[in-house]
Amino acid sequence: MKNEYLTYIKLTVLLIAFLSLASCSNDDNPNNLDETIFVRHKNADMPAYIRGNGAEKVFLVTLHGGPGGGGLEFVGDAFNIIEDQYGVVYFDQRGSGMSQGSYTEEDVSLDLMAEDVLALVKVLKRKYGNDSQFFLLGHSWGGTLGTATLVKDQSDFIGWIEVDGANNPAGLYDQYIETFTITANAQIALGNSVDFWESILEFVSKVDPISNLDDFSELNSRAFDLEEKLTDDGFINNPVSNADRKKLTFEYNASTAIWNGRQIATILIDQQGLFQVTDFTSQLPEITIPSLFISGQYDMIVPVVSAQKAFENIGSEVKELQIFDRSGHSPLDTEPERFAAEVLRFLEANKQ
Amino acid sequence: MTKNNYWYYHSLSFSSPSMKPKLSVITVGLIFCISIGFGQNESKIKIQKSELPQSFVKRAEYKVAYTGSIVWLNGINLGSEYLWKEYLKSKKRRRGGRMNKHQFLLNANLGFSTNFSSKTDTGIYTNAGLIWRRTNKKGKQFNIEFNPLGYYRSFLPETFEVNGDNVEKVALAGRGYYTPSISVGIGKERKGKVRSGSYFNVNYTLRTSYNGGNLPAWYLQYGFRFNFNNKKK
Repeated sequence: MKNEYLTYIKLTVLLIAFLSLASCSNDDNPNNLDETIFVRHKNADMPAYIRGNGAEKVFLVTLHGGPGGGGLEFVGDAFNIIEDQYGVVYFDQRGSGMSQGSYTEEDVSLDLMAEDVLALVKVLKRKYGNDSQFFLLGHSWGGTLGTATLVKDQSDFIGWIEVDGANNPAGLYDQYIETFTITANAQIALGNSVDFWESILEFVSKVDPISNLDDFSELNSRAFDLEEKLTDDGFINNPVSNADRKKLTFEYNASTAIWNGRQIATILIDQQGLFQVTDFTSQLPEITIPSLFISGQYDMIVPVVSAQKAFENIGSEVKELQIFDRSGHSPLDTEPERFAAEVLRFLEANKQ
Repeated sequence: MTKNNYWYYHSLSFSSPSMKPKLSVITVGLIFCISIGFGQNESKIKIQKSELPQSFVKRAEYKVAYTGSIVWLNGINLGSEYLWKEYLKSKKRRRGGRMNKHQFLLNANLGFSTNFSSKTDTGIYTNAGLIWRRTNKKGKQFNIEFNPLGYYRSFLPETFEVNGDNVEKVALAGRGYYTPSISVGIGKERKGKVRSGSYFNVNYTLRTSYNGGNLPAWYLQYGFRFNFNNKKK
């Protein structure tokens, strides 16, 4: 009997050890923040990974791509440099990364997701104080969400950084056709991968000139192939190998994150046709906070013209457009030092 | 945009349909497997119902197992099995006979799992259901475990709830989900020993409703069964 009890005790101790390890909290040192909190808003629980130097209470709130990416997709060389100076908040949006919750597909909307971002800032203020300052950065789809957030309420932010962001997803269809054609002709003229670029011209000639989801998906998919070819031919730098990003293998439960990503993408893109109907161009003049637009010269996924138009239409008095001439859709990976330098310079110039 | 997700979303496509629960297919499969086990009514086959002890304690076994996906999720599963029905199925063959033991067991589990790396995937769960297990004369086992009753409660780190302009810290934050599951696995019986067997299962759990859908999750389970009655003999 004694040994039987001993077995139970051993099992209980093992369970307590598991629970203790799981509940260990990180150090709250403001110079070296590394903590994960959750924002509960309208039936969703969304993780925010807060890292970096929060001593000045200046935070860069990031919005990932997708829809359906993960907040931590930004981590790497560029953001390591930024984290040395300022706090960075990586946020898993509703239905993305390790976010969880219980709501219906009909509940999900771009407007609700923008409210989620505003809710995140309220939480950060509660945690770090009302004197905290926030910059917003959105990459790719994060540019759509960031613009939607700022149009809704920009009062909590002191600056906006859009990185290869799609503030006019509905316009991407035409931009793809135009960019593919121009790029293909330029590459053929240079004698680079002629067969490939001729096949692109042929593909573009068969695309329906009227925007539709099937052709949009195909164009979007081909855009990645084009960037790959431009990388192979030496126009885009090879992405730096990020050891930090490899750690994501353990940070995210891949099956959960992939399922989440597919689910939210299906809801927003397939069911709601978000990329067919969303265009913030006419509302950009409402955004008046200092803004920095960054785009890769060879971005085929959200062509550089998108950043140029946003720069022209934004209502901010302080605004900048930085084109990275050795980059495609992810300048933070292909020109990380310059990316970090531009972002830090913008933060430094506009913090209060 | 969509394919921009560097690490593992390269297969993501706009038109891919969302994963739908395949519980009905699994249930039909389960019934099919069991019916195969009992469906051979040839004259060479004899099915005999075993006499089982009356005592609840004597018909119960306990189990402890690792559960998780190794890379992302790791945890422990504690459970109990109660032998509900047992049949001995013998079949005559040219060289001797073959005797397989078929058991139906009531099953209940309590478990804990976490992602130590991020703390975003911690939770406890409980489930209950039925196990069908076949054991051959060498003690090798095959089992299918179906747990229609399941509950998972996530535990989140520091959480703040936002209602309008009001922000409040949530105590013991987390969410409850209905989680039916099915496991298919193999094992080895150790007759007359306290550690009465070992098993390896592949488990499929549906966490519902989760982010506007039903989250499918796969786990591996490796563990041991204990029968403390064997000790007294």
